[in-house]
Amino acid sequence: MAFEDVWKKISWLYYQYILVTALYMLEPWERAIFNSILISVAGMAVYTGYVFMPQHIMAILQYFEMVQ
Amino acid sequence: MTESSANKPANGQVCHRVKNGVKPGRNGFIKNHHHYHHQQPMYCYPEDKVQHTTCNGSSGLGLYSRPFIESFEETPMLVAVLTYMGYGILTIFGYLRDFLRDWKIERCHVAREREEQRDFVPLYQDFENFYTRNLYMRIRDSWNRPICSVPGAKVDLVERVSPDYNWTFDYTGKVVEGVINMGSYNYLGFAENTGYCADASAEVTMKYGVGVASTRQEMGNLDRHEEMEELVAKFLGVESAMAFGMGFATNSMNIPALTGKGCLILSDELNHASLVLGARLSGSTIRVFKHNNMQSLEKMLRDAIVHGQPRTHRPWKKILILVEGIYSMEGSIVRLPEVIALKKRYRAYLYLDEAHSIGALGPGGRGVVDYFGLDPRDVDVMMGTFTKSFGAAGGYIGGRKELLEYLRSHSHSAVYAASMSPPVVEQIIASMKCIMGEDGTTLGRDRVQQLAENTLYFRRRLTEMGFIIYGNNDSPVVPMMLYMPAKIGAFGREMLKRNIGVVVVGFPATPIIESRARFCISAAHTKDMLDTALSVISEVGDLLQVKYSRHKRLPSLD
Repeated sequence: MAFEDVWKKISWLYYQYILVTALYMLEPWERAIFNSILISVAGMAVYTGYVFMPQHIMAILQYFEMVQ
Repeated sequence: MTESSANKPANGQVCHRVKNGVKPGRNGFIKNHHHYHHQQPMYCYPEDKVQHTTCNGSSGLGLYSRPFIESFEETPMLVAVLTYMGYGILTIFGYLRDFLRDWKIERCHVAREREEQRDFVPLYQDFENFYTRNLYMRIRDSWNRPICSVPGAKVDLVERVSPDYNWTFDYTGKVVEGVINMGSYNYLGFAENTGYCADASAEVTMKYGVGVASTRQEMGNLDRHEEMEELVAKFLGVESAMAFGMGFATNSMNIPALTGKGCLILSDELNHASLVLGARLSGSTIRVFKHNNMQSLEKMLRDAIVHGQPRTHRPWKKILILVEGIYSMEGSIVRLPEVIALKKRYRAYLYLDEAHSIGALGPGGRGVVDYFGLDPRDVDVMMGTFTKSFGAAGGYIGGRKELLEYLRSHSHSAVYAASMSPPVVEQIIASMKCIMGEDGTTLGRDRVQQLAENTLYFRRRLTEMGFIIYGNNDSPVVPMMLYMPAKIGAFGREMLKRNIGVVVVGFPATPIIESRARFCISAAHTKDMLDTALSVISEVGDLLQVKYSRHKRLPSLD
């Protein structure tokens, strides 16, 4: 039952996303194109963050001379 | 003007009374002023335009006999940004689809040149229809819905589906019955097929037929037309009136007869297309003043009188001010007392288009002049239509006897257009007698009062729910802001799923980000129907998240 509520909430949030970005008016294949571009760009950003975050944090800490 | 402590509200809010000549804020509206009688606490945002004007003996204005409350809440910044983003995404996909159509990857449903004429100068301007092809077509099922019953308080719609995303429609053969009609201009509920008006029209059809087969000047002037015109003149309180077959044609064909080259037309920013067309056809110089903004109008009048015509500086032959009673896209009511004061002071003429306000405003239903309690002889040309409150079709012009005699012979519409059909004329006569109370019942007065109550109730409940509603508190046209393009289509469809028919409007009838849903209240709506409609609107509003208003209002107890 909790799964149903969560599913409904996610469904409603997806509906809001579709309305705000005007994907509601587009055909399914256009939505697929837009969503895949968005997810790939977001995925690349997350991956880059994952790879480079330790180096960036070490550089910041060294700048503030908290660790050698 | 000095302000005594008696005039300052107890909670310390600053309050000014609105006067002409006070320094105006942006767009002429005085920002963030509240009348000190205002009971409910309201969180006010400085950029919102809320106008309160009242008059009592000690105030500076003295022209308004009742409070003039209208509000045009500012678009929230986030909503505006998201709306532009939505249009941007749609434009990109529009370009993609046009590319596919051009390269024949996708089938093209739009009008194309024939193969033999491919090298000629193009007949169809492709880019101008970009908006129609790529944005309008996608949500086209919210417009042009065929109805198959009388458009009263409830209407029947023909059900249709589209297999190819609104390029073509198929009828399933079923009828959606009992849809609550919030879109028809049926302010007094005279769009009905039973009752006194309908019976009178049927009788007259039996006697005179339906077609008149001539113009007014030749053989088309029936005795019913004469009676109707006398009745209209009596209704409006003017000396004489004249009726035409089409409301749009009344404006566009009569303004050229009134003004010409060497005259100046001062027209409101948001005037209807018929007024704009008539002004352009006349050949006069047109200057546009900001919507309902009396400072802008006064400045233009002064400039016109001081400087005269553009190069020769000769005085203008005449100056005509074009305003409407109720502006149907905004729901605002014209500031008629101030316009008349200005017109008298600067010796200009006033043309008042009461298409939506006749029958719908005023204690006697006589329009915006009655609403403000003014003298109808102050307005030089009173124009209106029979389509909205009288359940008929056509338009009229009323004014002094000399003006009407002139128009009878010089107006294009009078000379060339076929005269009005007898059942329509009879509907007008019957409904007008009903509103004036001459048929012996109080039905007319009850309907006018019912409309006023419905309007107040509906507007109050919608603003309490948190929607952004434009316009004056007394206007039966209620525009509710939606802003985002996808929500236009979604709102229309979701309301129809729940059995309520609404009209949604977008570009180009409104500015591009200010798309709205427009409700037209009718005296035929009972309180139950309004309550049903309101609960459904609230539900759909929550589903679509269109409750954008940032004012917190306390719900009243009824």
